[in-house]
Amino acid sequence: MTAASAPVLTRPALVERRPGLSTARLLLLELRHNAMLWMLPVALAVFWFLSYRKTMDLPPLWNLRATDLHTRAVADLIVPVTGAAALMGSREARRRMTDLMTSTARPRWARLLVTWAATTIWALVGYGACLAVIYAVTAHQASWGGPLWWPVVVTAASVVAFSAVGFAAGTLLPGRLTAPLVAVGSWFVLVLSTQLITGSQSYWQISPVVAGPWDDTLDPGVATFYPYVHDLSIAQVMFLAGLTVAMLGAVAWPRSSRRVRAASAVVAAAGVLAAGTAVRLAGTGTLDAHGMIAIPALHDAASDLPIRFTPVCSRGSIPVCLNPAYSRSLPAVAAVLSPVLREIAGLPGAPVRVIQVAATYKQGTGNVISTGLAGGALQGEPPEFRLLLPDQQTGGPFLTNHELAGQVRDSIGPAIVASLVSDGPDASEAQHAVAAALSMDAGMPAGTDYPGQPVPRGTRVQGHQETGQGPSCSGAGCGSGAAGNLDKSSPSYAAARRFAALPLAAQRSWLAQHLTALRAGQITLAQLP
Amino acid sequence: MSAQRVAEMRPALASVSHPAWASGLRLVWLHATSRRFPAALGALAACAIGLRIALIGHWDAYGALQLPLIIEAASVCVLTVSTASPLGEPERVAGRWLPWLRLGSVVMLTAVAVGALAAGAVGGHLSGGILDVLRNVAGLTGIGLLCAALVGGGVAWIGPTAYMIAGVYALYTQWHSPAVTTPWMWPGRPPHDLGAELCAGLVFTCGLALFAVRGARDRAGE
Repeated sequence: MTAASAPVLTRPALVERRPGLSTARLLLLELRHNAMLWMLPVALAVFWFLSYRKTMDLPPLWNLRATDLHTRAVADLIVPVTGAAALMGSREARRRMTDLMTSTARPRWARLLVTWAATTIWALVGYGACLAVIYAVTAHQASWGGPLWWPVVVTAASVVAFSAVGFAAGTLLPGRLTAPLVAVGSWFVLVLSTQLITGSQSYWQISPVVAGPWDDTLDPGVATFYPYVHDLSIAQVMFLAGLTVAMLGAVAWPRSSRRVRAASAVVAAAGVLAAGTAVRLAGTGTLDAHGMIAIPALHDAASDLPIRFTPVCSRGSIPVCLNPAYSRSLPAVAAVLSPVLREIAGLPGAPVRVIQVAATYKQGTGNVISTGLAGGALQGEPPEFRLLLPDQQTGGPFLTNHELAGQVRDSIGPAIVASLVSDGPDASEAQHAVAAALSMDAGMPAGTDYPGQPVPRGTRVQGHQETGQGPSCSGAGCGSGAAGNLDKSSPSYAAARRFAALPLAAQRSWLAQHLTALRAGQITLAQLP
Repeated sequence: MSAQRVAEMRPALASVSHPAWASGLRLVWLHATSRRFPAALGALAACAIGLRIALIGHWDAYGALQLPLIIEAASVCVLTVSTASPLGEPERVAGRWLPWLRLGSVVMLTAVAVGALAAGAVGGHLSGGILDVLRNVAGLTGIGLLCAALVGGGVAWIGPTAYMIAGVYALYTQWHSPAVTTPWMWPGRPPHDLGAELCAGLVFTCGLALFAVRGARDRAGE
């Protein structure tokens, strides 16, 4: 083709404008040149070192793993995410490119939003990797239940908000000290917020690191028998979304036209309003009977209904039945209880099965929470013995199956015997003696050299040590009414030894005839065989 | 100006030249201002004030140990970021006294950071005392200097902040077993623990030596 034969263009060729495509290209560019990408190895290393191993040490229960991951991921990610976002926000000023970038066709706020979005995407990718590993392993290990998604939503919203806070700080106060001070300052605020939480009606529960009653150790029973109450999660997401919107609105303020400024002010005000409302809502929370924070304005009554499940049961004359989430503990629990259950099976008033139930929670002073069994242990017709595993009462550190079995033998076994003979601090000497004798025969603790008062059964107190850490319920003297505290030099103990020495058939025959009178406190020590 | 003219002016210039110590002082001042030391000193003072305010509150055991560590980390971040040079390669080529200037400036800033925090703690109950502050600040500074030499002064704060999170966790495990007892996690060790002091001191020495010799890994213009 020669110049003469080339077609003459009378007007410029129309180029189709595709703003979406150019934004995508800009986003790709920002993704490739983003500080958060280089911060990811640090964030993942911190997560692996501090959180992954600790979370994996927990029993494979969805509620434990999900809430623990929530708290730990927020704490691990806040520093790298805010720091990287502040670096990206201050990039133009640090490289003295502000004037040059102002002359580009794209509005400043739109350009900055793309940079923020890229930073947030990398942060979410990092969190997603942590989440995928923890949830995949838990799905493989858990015997029952499914993943909890509200803690995931709160953590993801936290990552987005941290990114917005860091980015806004970097944009509005560019400087070499901005990124480190914002990163450390955000961590300081996070730690400080948890220090100020007092009770379940604290406004500070809005802190995204909070996944439930603060200072209460992770409890395997929470969100196992009843659904996960997401009231606090909703308030936290609302707060974080409001914070994000307010921060991004503030980013658009400087060096923008009057119209953009007005719009950004409205957006920022809406964000502040949403965040303030969420804080107000968090302050109305209360600890519900199932161990979670309920906020009346956000509460769904359906979450008060128990989760339907088919318990897993052992074989035997009196089966032991546990929530399927605890199925890994069933063989050990059933094995340690089988001697005592064999001993009492078929006696009048003996339970027909032992079944695990939910604990009830009550808010005490400050952050103290008491946990216990609602009503008596022996209920129903035919009677069932309602069981709280030590895991449900003592909180962390979590027990191995061997440790759990030991505690069940020492506390639940004597409690079953005590419920059969109605033993307790106010029971007669004969009741103490028979309970102790049955415990001895089953290889459970039945006497002590400690002359003090028995520890109340099925009750614990949690919280700071300085505000009153209650003794955990384990070992001799716990859970068996008074039998476990029977003084070895007392006449009751001697009577118990005498009764325990009888053949099992003779014991059962006597109990079959006299158990009702024994429960009523009408039998004296002298009347025991 | 021709070479002959310069030769003529040399005696006159010599008569107005300052003594050697004055030029040395000027060099130190230029080095300090290029690293924005005045701003850093202001930030260190702010950290000390922050510590003083934090010590007014009545914290439980967690807060009493963790909040000072966070403020110590903030001080170290300020110090570490101040190692970044805006001049880059040209300064490295021309600066014969740079290793000594780096060494002196970092030691001076570390001393100022410890001194400011100690002053901030006067009248309040600082958990672990000044010895704890000295150990933590020295160790964190060592990590920051190593990061400055390896990844750059502008982002060297990443090391101390990541270590701060691990340190806070080490303190947390004092109440939640299994406790982190390795001396390399010195914030979790008692103030007079020799192993922790040695580890923190070793990291500080290594960081200081590497930074003095190589300087921060920075590009000019940022």
